[in-house]
Amino acid sequence: MEYLFDIFLISISAALINNFVLYYFVGICPFIGVSRQVSMAVGMGSAVTAVMTFAVFLSWTITTLILTPGAPLSAWVAGWFMSPEKARTIDLTIMTYIVYIFSIASAVQFVEMYVRRFYPPLYKSFGVFLPLITTNCAILFACLTVMSNVVGKANPAEAWDLGRSLALGFFGGVGFTIAIVIMAGIREELDLCDVPKPFQGAAITLIVGGILAMAFMGFNGVDTGIRSALGGL
Amino acid sequence: MGAVTIGLSAGTLLIMAIVLTAVLGWASVKFHVDVDQRALDIMDALPGANCGGCGYVGCGEYAEAVALEHEAVNKCTVGGQNCALAVAEIMGVEVGETMPYRPIVHCGASYADRLGRNEYRGEKRCAAANLVTDVQGCTYGCLGFGDCENACEFDAIHVIDGLATVDYDKCVGCGACTKACPRNIITITPFKSEQMLAVTCSNKDKGKDVISVCNVGCIGCGACARASSLFTVQDNLSTINYDAYSPTCSLDVLDACKKCKRQRLVFVGKPSPKDVEKAIDMKVPDVVEPDFKTSVDDTEWRG
Repeated sequence: MEYLFDIFLISISAALINNFVLYYFVGICPFIGVSRQVSMAVGMGSAVTAVMTFAVFLSWTITTLILTPGAPLSAWVAGWFMSPEKARTIDLTIMTYIVYIFSIASAVQFVEMYVRRFYPPLYKSFGVFLPLITTNCAILFACLTVMSNVVGKANPAEAWDLGRSLALGFFGGVGFTIAIVIMAGIREELDLCDVPKPFQGAAITLIVGGILAMAFMGFNGVDTGIRSALGGL
Repeated sequence: MGAVTIGLSAGTLLIMAIVLTAVLGWASVKFHVDVDQRALDIMDALPGANCGGCGYVGCGEYAEAVALEHEAVNKCTVGGQNCALAVAEIMGVEVGETMPYRPIVHCGASYADRLGRNEYRGEKRCAAANLVTDVQGCTYGCLGFGDCENACEFDAIHVIDGLATVDYDKCVGCGACTKACPRNIITITPFKSEQMLAVTCSNKDKGKDVISVCNVGCIGCGACARASSLFTVQDNLSTINYDAYSPTCSLDVLDACKKCKRQRLVFVGKPSPKDVEKAIDMKVPDVVEPDFKTSVDDTEWRG
């Protein structure tokens, strides 16, 4: 029960309260670039969600099994060359960035092939933005959040398991989708408005994004509120 | 310990590379998409400038449209006739008449000719200056801050003496300058010959108002329209009917050019005025005499 509750809190926090785009301001590039139509925004959100879940799965697996100090796989291999106590101190966390970028790039490539095969119109409408998910910092951010919750925990039981990580990855993507779809809806209406010339284009989009972020600030503290309300569990 | 850490790091990356390559290789076979071979061939035949002059996002999209949706083969302004021929050969169709599309700047006033100019301290861009009144007297003409110059990826338009001037040797007709100009004085026109007649003014005000803001602007006097039916005066501005325009100018058209008091009917295109200037200095002998010393033919000519 406690575990489910934890997953629930992580999910709602990633999707709404600490929304990646509107709270942490990561992933702004596709947020501005592909938020012209709601249909495209939904597609982009789904693609980012898929890539994020996949990348978080890969990065959690690699971090837990290889990178973190005392990870079973690296300790086992290092055990051939040194004493088991020493092998358990081997720290490969310096590799996190390159490994995560590697896995994100592969995940994007995979999703690109999949979308091209099964959703050609979507593939066409994405254009350059699909490969650009590779450099979408929201995904790297999700991976690094998972890493910070796996590595460096004094008590190994506190480290996130795969379920919590996947919840963060998937609902982080859902949060991104929510943000970009709201943005696209506003921008569709915005096309009909008489925007003063100096504000047209990217300028008004960024202003709208800022106001949207302020609105999402209203969710602040909801997670701690829920935690204290259901604290008895 | 250091060696083991390095070895483990390298090993991790190596294993990741092998595994992910295998997965992606499997996926590329499994999710293989057949691409029309003609589209690939057309892609190779196109210049690859990705300028958007054809109306598609890039060369790839245009190639696909030609191959699959029977789009016209002569849309590429950069490649011109040769490119259209190559694409037509791939598609096995006849190429229609291709005219290169080139921009014409409909303003002919350099700084000295523009009256009522005031000091402008704002952002040095036409789009910004256009929002402010009284930057210069003429509200139609070139502002001279070079938004078109910045938009051009082919280094083919420059602000010379305050006036945007197209370098037709470099221009490919992508139309980026047309979109960049906030005053819409650059039009993309089908060039029926290397040189085209153009009205280099956009001022639609009455003649008196034009004279007060510009030394050279069209005053809508209608002298050209009286001389030739090619011209009509619309909104106090001489306009050329390009559908009726023929590359070999008839005498009445040349007459109209002469009659224009403001000299606004000018030819633009190749060769540029600069080339013509250079050619004027060159001495061209009237008759070329054969030089027996360098000639291969050693027979003497005895008249």
